[in-house]
Amino acid sequence: MRKILALLVCSVSFLYSFSQSGKLPEVDKSPMDVSYYPANYPVLKIQNKATEPLIARILYSRPQKQGRKVFGELVEYGKVWRLGANEATEIEFFKDVKIGGKKIAKGRYTLYAIVNEDIWTMILNKDTDTWGAFKYDSKKDVLRTDVPVQKTNEIAEIMSMWFEKTPTGVSLVIAWEQVKVSLPITI
Amino acid sequence: MRNFLSALLILTSACISCKEENNKPAVADVRTKADSPAVKVLPPITHYTVPDHSPMDMVYFPKDYPLLKMTGKTQALPLMRVIYSRPQKEKRKIFDGLVQYDMPWRLGANEATEIEFFSTATIQNKKLNPGRYILYCIPQETRWTFVFNSNLYSWGLEQNRQKDLLQFDAPVEKINGSIEYFTIATEKISDKSADLVFLWDDVKTKLTVSF
Repeated sequence: MRKILALLVCSVSFLYSFSQSGKLPEVDKSPMDVSYYPANYPVLKIQNKATEPLIARILYSRPQKQGRKVFGELVEYGKVWRLGANEATEIEFFKDVKIGGKKIAKGRYTLYAIVNEDIWTMILNKDTDTWGAFKYDSKKDVLRTDVPVQKTNEIAEIMSMWFEKTPTGVSLVIAWEQVKVSLPITI
Repeated sequence: MRNFLSALLILTSACISCKEENNKPAVADVRTKADSPAVKVLPPITHYTVPDHSPMDMVYFPKDYPLLKMTGKTQALPLMRVIYSRPQKEKRKIFDGLVQYDMPWRLGANEATEIEFFSTATIQNKKLNPGRYILYCIPQETRWTFVFNSNLYSWGLEQNRQKDLLQFDAPVEKINGSIEYFTIATEKISDKSADLVFLWDDVKTKLTVSF
């Protein structure tokens, strides 16, 4: 009972602090980050070392494992996941690209994933500036494509995404826990 | 009841995690210099990037737009979005110290601060077309000059002054206490206008933006 009371007090105080208006944004527990293709583009740009134009950028928030089992539990199999934390993950193409053989017009998209043990279904959706996957609307899908799951030896404590150059273009790599997937993008 | 309990649990853990943040830095123990371009070297295949010491953040007007949208409280498009990275004071003298007077400052850390208007914006009677800009400032003791510039997707250490578009002066206010993390926030004036507020240490400045 005491525990429940403590929980209640804690929850109420959280709600109270959350509801106070005019409060400044706190530093997020799952910090936002950005990756580019070409990798590190802004630094290359000011050093005049960029050999390719900016092609893609991904904005996402980075949840941490913190001793939890991630895939299959925290991130449930078979459900649409925001591919990060907080706001839905945003991917932007600065030119038309091709993913899964389909032309994707330049612009901003939300990137979701349906996670399974062996395969993830990557979803590109037109509804941007949204929170999580709570209002995910499949009618706004632009693309769905499956990618295989690779197991890694290294454990990624914090979810990471980056772009890598490949023989056929670029891959968006996503790594968390001991799972890694690559989404090929033809540029 | 089960739902209620699990909601409680979630809230509680959120509460605990908030508390934890007060006791330790929110980001990893890897200390990197916010001002060094070397911070963001992207990983080779076998390496995973660590979170940035000056974490990136994003603010919208209307405030918390993605949450409003998710909870069905708005169907309209957002009006403005700012993406910036948040350096910390860490006991340093910020203004006229780490951030020098009369020198361009990126209004944050890492990449140049990006501001996007989704409708035509008006600041001090000047119009800015919908689109993306970088925003930096030239601070002085009593006023800051804010500069909108078109050199997008650049690291914030250097500004290309030839790409400056418009600039605006704003007075500096002193506030009580000291703000640890550089903070940009939007404060609503009306449905179509807001103060874009900049806070760090004991200094506050703002630009009023109308749509």
